[in-house]
Amino acid sequence: MATRWLGSPIKRNEDPRLLVGQGLFVDDVQLPGMVHAAVLRSPHAHARILRIDARRASQHPEVLLVLTHADLPPALKEPLPKLIPHPDLKHHKTQYALAPDKVRHVGEPVAFVVATSRAAAEDALELIEVDYDPLPAVVDLEEAAAGRPALVHEDIGTNVAAHSVQRVGDYEAARARAHLVLARRFVVDRGCASPIETRGVVAQWDPKARQLTVWDSTQAPIPIRNGLAALFGLAQKDVRVVAPDVGGGFGPKIMMFYPEEVLVPLAAMRLGRPVKWIEDRREHFLATNHERTQIHDAEIALDQDGRILGVRTVFLHDAGAYIPYGLIVPIVAECTLPGPYRVPNYHAEFRAVFTNKTIVSPYRGAGRPHGVFVMERLLDLAARQLGMDRAEIRRRNFIQPHEFPYDVGLIYQDNAPLIYDSGNYPAALERALEAVEYDRWPEQKARYRAEGRRVGLGFACYVEGSGIGPYEGCRVTVEPSGKVFVATGVGTQGQGHFTSFAQVVADALGVDVQDVHVVTGDTAAFGWGTGTFASRAAVVAGSAVHLAAKAVQQKALQVAATLLEASPEDLELADGYVRVRGAPSRSVSLGEVARAANPLRGVIPAEWEGPGLEATRYFAPPRGTFSHGVHAALVEVDPETATLRFLRYVVVHDCGVVLNPLILDGQIHGGVAQGIGGAFFERLVYDGSGQLLSGSFMDFHIPTAVEIPEIEVHHQETPSPLNPLGAKGAGEGGVIPVPALLAQAIEDALDDLDLEITQMPLHPDALFHLIQAARRRQP
Amino acid sequence: MRIEGNETLHAPRDRVWALLDDPQALAGCTPGLEELRPVGPDEFEAVLSIGIAAVRGTYKGKLRITERTPPLRYGVQVEGSSAAGFVRATGVLELEDQGVQTGVRWSGDVQVGGALTLGSRMIPGIARMLASQFFQCLDRKLQEGAA
Repeated sequence: MATRWLGSPIKRNEDPRLLVGQGLFVDDVQLPGMVHAAVLRSPHAHARILRIDARRASQHPEVLLVLTHADLPPALKEPLPKLIPHPDLKHHKTQYALAPDKVRHVGEPVAFVVATSRAAAEDALELIEVDYDPLPAVVDLEEAAAGRPALVHEDIGTNVAAHSVQRVGDYEAARARAHLVLARRFVVDRGCASPIETRGVVAQWDPKARQLTVWDSTQAPIPIRNGLAALFGLAQKDVRVVAPDVGGGFGPKIMMFYPEEVLVPLAAMRLGRPVKWIEDRREHFLATNHERTQIHDAEIALDQDGRILGVRTVFLHDAGAYIPYGLIVPIVAECTLPGPYRVPNYHAEFRAVFTNKTIVSPYRGAGRPHGVFVMERLLDLAARQLGMDRAEIRRRNFIQPHEFPYDVGLIYQDNAPLIYDSGNYPAALERALEAVEYDRWPEQKARYRAEGRRVGLGFACYVEGSGIGPYEGCRVTVEPSGKVFVATGVGTQGQGHFTSFAQVVADALGVDVQDVHVVTGDTAAFGWGTGTFASRAAVVAGSAVHLAAKAVQQKALQVAATLLEASPEDLELADGYVRVRGAPSRSVSLGEVARAANPLRGVIPAEWEGPGLEATRYFAPPRGTFSHGVHAALVEVDPETATLRFLRYVVVHDCGVVLNPLILDGQIHGGVAQGIGGAFFERLVYDGSGQLLSGSFMDFHIPTAVEIPEIEVHHQETPSPLNPLGAKGAGEGGVIPVPALLAQAIEDALDDLDLEITQMPLHPDALFHLIQAARRRQP
Repeated sequence: MRIEGNETLHAPRDRVWALLDDPQALAGCTPGLEELRPVGPDEFEAVLSIGIAAVRGTYKGKLRITERTPPLRYGVQVEGSSAAGFVRATGVLELEDQGVQTGVRWSGDVQVGGALTLGSRMIPGIARMLASQFFQCLDRKLQEGAA
């Protein structure tokens, strides 16, 4: 092959289009006769709805439709679908399209208005009278678990949705023979993703063809199509869901269903006109899912050499008002916690608890940052108590390269055994320590100190579960023009699939990567699939792309062999041609091969598997594949203002075979930035009545380029044996270890203060109080 | 959130009390009050229009006088909502006899919900500003009455 595209840092095919403003985001969809929707949302965290009077809104001259719960068809009056059941999830309560008789979080939809303009629709919201009888708000997680001060769902008699235990070995026995047992409480508070593009839905109903088309900023267009077909009693073939360009997903854009995803199609069908709803930022803070609140009571047992005998974590998970997405986040948290270490005895136990807050579902990291924070903190604190170097305690506990596949002994989020497929944990740590010159750090730190500066070095190790099943598929087609078209069911929210998938195909077919056109996220182009989540698209869909491209390659050789009167083994694909090896003048273009594969007369041999230069393949991995990495950073702390500055940030990252290092660097840079934001700047603050106080960018501080350091990325490549590309997921590794790293770095910078950081996110105010408290404790 | 303040009204306490006990006088001094309709003993329906930053909007709600201890204490409870959210508050006024003038200590517990919470950090400042306008108006009325 002339060029090897895979592994090259080529620029993204999609960028020229996006950079000149030619992307198609949901809000760019403009249809003749389109009308606009707005949502009336509960201002209360917890209240009974005594009365809704929407008559005045209905009489507004520009209003076309007003919906309350009473106006919904029977299928939409019921709670929306349960997404991911689990045997331990006893009370799988899901959200309503519109609240029937009670609201359970601020922002929950109560009524839906369609008018000729968004402004008119919002004006009409003010005309809807709702009488609420406020109930005590369930805000504090521990109180909620105890059923106080109220029940979010009275009919189940508890706020605990699930209680789940996983055990490996016998933690109590390990604890009994331990040299050191160290117990702490770790608290991780809420965060949210804040994509540039908020959510949006446009729906169009063709009453004659009886076909519904929906543009939706979702990460999972195919499940949305299947769900809409079921709710509206339509055939799946008559519903088309398009996730066009999506301006960032990060997890919360996969949910089935957000209320607007059924209300907008319903309104379009009732009115016979296209309907658009675009979420504004204020709505986004309240109505798009959050994540992260968990309280871990954790314990580690070690021998005198610092070897881990066992770990226990008993934790509460804040599910918010409903739990449509099931137990994914707490399961991922408990499964990520052991990380790259041998933990022979492990007890993980959680309760998922309802509160009167926005619903929780996975957000980039999805429980992984919590697990890593708890484990890395336990090791840091244990090393301190044992008088041991923090790198050394990790070295002594790493799973070694020869131990793969390594069975952790748990069941992962895909219901498959948690088995690490491959990796090299010690090498990654050594490379990171070398990059930051860890062995010379004491002198360096002393030099900073002599200048009056408080600089700390922090590092953290993690394993990232990725690339889970069940499956994805792909169809690769070469048209007579010689252009290659690729269709897959996953959606794309900025991950560069239009390029990385094109690279896979370009290598297989010997064409230029720019001649490969990839379609993602359109159910009319490819109708089977699950979605983009859990760092799986490159691994699972990418492998399906690879298999389909290889099948087309074989077919091109077979068809060309008859055209060139040669044996397929003597042919090669290069530069858009199939040619005889060693005799390049004997060649035929891929376009001609495509034409020959679809003849008007003649015979199609059985081995062609049908007409056309086309193949469809599916890839279903046996279980997830596990990336890993180490982040290390130098962080300067100003103890007077409690602000931070990152002086260096190093990432050693192993996601198997790298498909495109430029795209991978982008994923890591973005992840680290989001990790830093979530660890130190961004806060979702609720008051005692369940009101979100920081629901705007005035109070929720996303870091800017000024706060984010230059990020040095080192790629280590340990291929995965579980897929043909050898690839592993890379979407979340940038975020995962940041809280753990930051805690260690701050403690190191302020090591004269005997500070212990056990909560995340921090922010200047919280850090200031920790510093003050530590100073007061000093003699 | 708790908000409190002190004001001085330039009239003896009995006159201040008499004014506070007159709903129409209160209505005339409440900034932005568009309507105050008695619906029961010590209970009113009110429409109030506020044009300040994040709390801008027309609020409809109820005002109830919860305590009346002449000439010492006066308690109110307010509930109102607008497109921007809701406000629930309880407030107490305490009058201190200072001879020719009267000291007023006021305090309130305010709970806001909906989009209003975005401006909640500004609410104490806005409440103090509105309170100060209210008391300045009362003071003018008292002085006009004295003249």
